Amino acid sequence: MMIKKIDKNQFKELFDKLKENYNIAAPVLIDKNKKTLVEYHYIDDFDKIDWDEQADSSPKNIIFPQNAPVGNDYKEKQYYDTEQDTLILGVRSCDIEAIKTLDQVFIEDEMYIDKNYKARRDKITLVGLSCPQRNKSCFCDTLGFNPVESNYAPLYIFKDGNEFWIKVKDKKFESVFENLPDGNQDKLEELIEKRINTFTESSFELDIPIPLPEKEMFEADIWEEMSEKCLGCGICTYYCPTCYCFNFIWEGKDGESTKYKNWDSCMFSTYSAHASGHNPRDSKEKRYRNRIMHKFSYHPLNYEGLGCVGCGRCIDRCPVNLDIREALKLTEKYLEEKGGAKSGKD
Amino acid sequence: MLPHKAEVLEIKQETETNLNIKTFKVKFIDNDIRKNFNFKPGQFMMVTVYGLGEAPFGFSSSPTEKDYIEFSVKEVGLVTEALHNLKEGDKIGIRGPFGNGFPLDSTEGKNIIFIGGGIGLAPLRSMINYVLDEKNRDKYQRIQLLNAFRSPEDTLFCDDYQWWENSKDTLVKYTIDEPCEGWSKCVGYPHTLIAEELDYNLPDTRVFTCGPPIMIKFITERLQELGIEPSEIITTLEMRMSCGVGKCGRCNIGHYYVCKDGPVFTLEQLREMPDEY
Repeated sequence: MMIKKIDKNQFKELFDKLKENYNIAAPVLIDKNKKTLVEYHYIDDFDKIDWDEQADSSPKNIIFPQNAPVGNDYKEKQYYDTEQDTLILGVRSCDIEAIKTLDQVFIEDEMYIDKNYKARRDKITLVGLSCPQRNKSCFCDTLGFNPVESNYAPLYIFKDGNEFWIKVKDKKFESVFENLPDGNQDKLEELIEKRINTFTESSFELDIPIPLPEKEMFEADIWEEMSEKCLGCGICTYYCPTCYCFNFIWEGKDGESTKYKNWDSCMFSTYSAHASGHNPRDSKEKRYRNRIMHKFSYHPLNYEGLGCVGCGRCIDRCPVNLDIREALKLTEKYLEEKGGAKSGKD
Repeated sequence: MLPHKAEVLEIKQETETNLNIKTFKVKFIDNDIRKNFNFKPGQFMMVTVYGLGEAPFGFSSSPTEKDYIEFSVKEVGLVTEALHNLKEGDKIGIRGPFGNGFPLDSTEGKNIIFIGGGIGLAPLRSMINYVLDEKNRDKYQRIQLLNAFRSPEDTLFCDDYQWWENSKDTLVKYTIDEPCEGWSKCVGYPHTLIAEELDYNLPDTRVFTCGPPIMIKFITERLQELGIEPSEIITTLEMRMSCGVGKCGRCNIGHYYVCKDGPVFTLEQLREMPDEY
C-alpha cells in the first residue's frame, strides 16, 4: 500500500493529470431552482468539488443510471461497449457499501451476471472519502459500518483541512501517484483514530437479529401502524443507494425499437400488480413491509450483508417524515416483547 | 436481456368469445438457437412484443416436440392484447427458459394426478404431453387428469383429448362449473370431484395442480384431507415479472423469487414461506 500526502494545489494538478485519462465524477453543489443540492456529476474543474456535505443523491445514479438502453431489435448493437474509464471521487463509506451491495446483486451472483452493469462497473474506479462528520440522519455505524474507512475502494482519501492523504490500495494505480510526496503512516493512523473518536456517540442503539426472522416478522402486527403516513411516492427508493429494483420497457416501433432498463420502486402499487388485477401487495403496509424486510431479512438471506447502509437519505427525503430508524426500533421492541428472536438464518 | 427473434407459425383460437385464449406455435428464426433451446415442463419464457413490452408465459408444449414451442395466452393486459392481434408470420421475441420446472426425475415411478383449471392447464399440458410421450410413458405409473373449465365454451387443447384418453393406463375427466345442455361429463368445482372421480388413494401418488388461486387453495385443502402429503402436492405460481432471473425484484415471496426459485413449489415449501402471492 502507498500513502501520499498532498495539499490542495497539488491535488488540483493531479486532478488535471487524471482528467487526461478518465472521466471524473464528484459531489458538486448545484442550484436547482434556487434549491441547492449536492449531487455526483461529471466535472472538469477541481474547485467545484464539495468535500464537506454528504451528497443528496448517491453515486448509484452513475453506476446504475435511472434510465439506460439495454439493446434494440434491429441490429446487434450492445450498449455496454460505450462506457469511458471513470473515477468517482469522494465516495463515503455508506455509498461504497451500497455499491458493494449492487455489485453482489449484478456481478457476483453466478446465477446471472448483468453485462450492462458489469461493463459500466468495470470502467469505474471508486475513490473513497473518509467521512468528516455525522449527518443529522445517518446511522452507518449503528449497522456496523465504519464511516472513517472502507476497504472496498482501491483509492481512499482522508481530507484534513487543506491537506489530502491518499491511500493507494491497488498496485495498478501506484504509477499515477508515485511522484507525489509520501505521507507518514503513523501520522495517518493518528488522524484516523482521532476521527473515529468523533463518531463514538452512536446515532442510535439497535439490537436486532440479522437477517430478521422472515416468517415471524412478516406476520408481525406492526406494519400497519408503521406505514400509516406513507404516501407511496417512492422517493425513499429513488434516493436509496442500495435500492436496485428495475423494469424493462420497450420504446419505438417494431423493427426500430429499443429496450431500456429503468428504475422501479416496490413502493408503487403497480410494481407487483398482475395484468388480471390481482396484486399480492395491494396495500401500503404490505409494500412498506416488503421494503423493510427486503433490506433486513430477504437480502441478508440471499446475499452476504445488509440491504441498508444507514445513509439516512430516505429519512431526509420522505415528505411525511417516515423514519427507517423508528421502523427498526419498533421491530426491536416487537421482537423483545416476543421474548427475543432468532435470526432468519437459524 | 435481449430476446431472440421467433416467427409465429400458427395461432389457434382455443376458447369461444367469452374467455379469449389463444395458443401460439412459434419457432426461433436462428437455427442454432432453435437447436440449443432446451426447456423443462414447468419452466417459462419472457415473450416480447417489440416496441411494446414483455410478459412471462409458461410453455404449453412438451420439450419432446423439437420443431416448435407453444404457449397459451389469455387476453388480460397490454402485451396479451398485442399478442392476440398478431398474425401468422409475425415476429416476436423470446428469452428463456427461466425457473425450476416440474420435478420430472423425482416423479419417475409414481402415480400422477394433474388437476388444471382454465388456463392453468397450459403449463400442466407441457408435462402431460411429456409423460405421455411414448419415450417417457413407461417411467411413470397411472396418469390421471381432471380438467376443469367454466363452461363447454372454455375448454382448451381439445385436439389433445383423444390421444390423452387413448394413452396407456390413463384416466381423463372433464368438469364445468354449472350444468349445461349437451354436456354429459362431470359438473362442479374440481375439489368436490377428486374423491369420487379419481383413484386418489393409489400408493405413491403425486399431484400437480394449477389454476386460479382460489381453486388451488380448495384443491390443496381437499388433497390433504384425503391424506396426500404436502410434499407430494405441487403447484406453479404466477407473478408479475420483468427480468426472469431474480434481479428486478417484483416477484418475490419473502426471500424467494418466483422466477428463479419457482415458479414450481410444493405445498410443503409454500407453507414455510410468507403468505404473499
